[in-house]
Amino acid sequence: MVIKVKNLVKRYGDLIALDHLSLEVKEGEIFGLLGPNGSGKTTAINCILSLLKYDKGTIEVYGRQMSPDAYDIKRRIGIIMQNVAVFDELTVYENIDYFCGLYVRDKKRRKQLVDEAIEFVGIKDFVKFYPKKLSGGLLRRLNIACGIAHKPDLIILDEPTVAVDPQSRNNILEGIKRLNSEGATILYTSHYMEEVEEICTRIAIMDKGKIIASGTKEELKGMINSGERLTVELFKTDSSIIDGVLNLPNIVSAEFDGNLLIVRSIKGKNNLLKLLDYLKSRDIDVGKVYSEPPTLNDVFLEITGKELRD
Amino acid sequence: MVLRNYFYRLKCIVRDRHSMFWTLMFPLLLATMFHMAFLNLSNGLNFSQIKIAIVDIDEYRNNTGFVSAIEAVSNTDENQKSDALFNLKYTTLEEARKLLDDDKIEGYIICDSEIKLTVKETGINETIIKSFLDYYLQTSSTIGTIAGVNPEAVNKGLIETLSDKADYLKEIAYGKSEPDSTVVFFYSLIAMTCFYGSFWGLKEVTALQADLSYEGARLSVAPVHKMKMFISSFLAAFTVELIEVFLLISYLKFILNVSFGGELLYILLACITGTFTGVTYGTFIASVVKGGEGIKIGILIGTSMTMSFLAGLMYEKMTYS
Repeated sequence: MVIKVKNLVKRYGDLIALDHLSLEVKEGEIFGLLGPNGSGKTTAINCILSLLKYDKGTIEVYGRQMSPDAYDIKRRIGIIMQNVAVFDELTVYENIDYFCGLYVRDKKRRKQLVDEAIEFVGIKDFVKFYPKKLSGGLLRRLNIACGIAHKPDLIILDEPTVAVDPQSRNNILEGIKRLNSEGATILYTSHYMEEVEEICTRIAIMDKGKIIASGTKEELKGMINSGERLTVELFKTDSSIIDGVLNLPNIVSAEFDGNLLIVRSIKGKNNLLKLLDYLKSRDIDVGKVYSEPPTLNDVFLEITGKELRD
Repeated sequence: MVLRNYFYRLKCIVRDRHSMFWTLMFPLLLATMFHMAFLNLSNGLNFSQIKIAIVDIDEYRNNTGFVSAIEAVSNTDENQKSDALFNLKYTTLEEARKLLDDDKIEGYIICDSEIKLTVKETGINETIIKSFLDYYLQTSSTIGTIAGVNPEAVNKGLIETLSDKADYLKEIAYGKSEPDSTVVFFYSLIAMTCFYGSFWGLKEVTALQADLSYEGARLSVAPVHKMKMFISSFLAAFTVELIEVFLLISYLKFILNVSFGGELLYILLACITGTFTGVTYGTFIASVVKGGEGIKIGILIGTSMTMSFLAGLMYEKMTYS
């Protein structure tokens, strides 16, 4: 086990930021910590890294109790924070070299690692630039390079794609997959369910400082009653259609969004066919038809009663 | 690790243009402005020779005592710089009157049966001329009286005795240089610069502490001893500030020619202590005060300005009694 957190409690006065949080991250996996803003993800990461003191619980990393002076453990960790943590007065190359030098003393080896990190995040053309001259996406890539240059075994990424353009976001996600394929264990926090769904092998969903569900994405989706989400383009909209659809078996909600009929169902067989049969029986012409499986947002919605992005 | 961090921190500090302006350029600018202000001030206090004229008549030439007395304290060449009290011109009576009317001289002297001074207005220079003539008349009268009663006294050194003015007060300079009240402004300026090292102290602690900056958080998760990082960062701040203080002193001494007397070594030692205190104060405020960087910088500027004021930066007669 790479990370083992047990019954972690962190309080800020009366506010409980972490409420008996327990999680385990296995070697070689990409573990996603998914939750809305303020759910306690960053607090949990800061406790794991010993940046914050906690009130109760235990944290073990690579089988040893984590503490501020656990240098052997720290040597194996790379951190990429939510906010860009680089020095504005140092160039791109100097920043990576500086942070890598905190882990690797051998100059020759360090140079090789820094060059590899620059190559990895694709900022070779900007090595002499100062951070203030970089775009937001490039700055994020520099932030990542500073965290991974020393080739850590465990990489912790705390919302690395916040305020990043789609191209840089895809670049970052691809990079994380590559790092994982090269052997690194990843702990990834985000409030973007699509990202977590795309790259994580196991996911824990957090809300109000607690883990409310965890498992693979299939396991998580299997925990809820929600079935597919059906979207049908209609050429005629009438409120009596909604009433009729709601009388069909397994249908829990139906609404119009323009000329699109959006229907949510619970698990069951042939939900789409039954809906189309009903529309045909009423001589309603149908255009495009989509059927989407439940998402992690549906999981969150069903468990907490609110949207993930609330 | 310590040395590597030290050099990287040096780079970070030197490339921080904003802080470099306040800790180096600002004191240099202030020094230049002080120098320009005091230059005019001292020019105003400089003594310039008093221009007088003597009506050149036979009676004057025959009064050899007065001729030698006035020529001893006068300079007849207008362009020649000397410590002489008067700038003397021999003229006719008409010329002397014209020169006085045209304000080219402060007064003119006619030496016939008696010595007469004519001035246009009253002022310091006119008073000086009159005081000189009064002193001459008093001394010559004293000599004449004593010589009449006791002629032998003249041979026994009467004139030397009367000329010899004993002064029972002695001015002793505290340093090895001439006392100059304006130097206190420059000392205060150096002290202020030393104290501005606190900005570097603040910057270094902010860069190190996980709760003060994101870079600090990244450093805190690295496998390095925090005290080592702090020491090397502190030394980098201390080095840069000390160099800035030495540059300021060099600028004051060699460019602006401010006289520090022969106490330069002691000044440099005081600067080392002052710089250390300044940087330490910055680290203290950064660590102890809760709040944003803006509040901390405000505290540093406020306290350093108050202390500079108390040291005499704005008022040279500041006392501690």
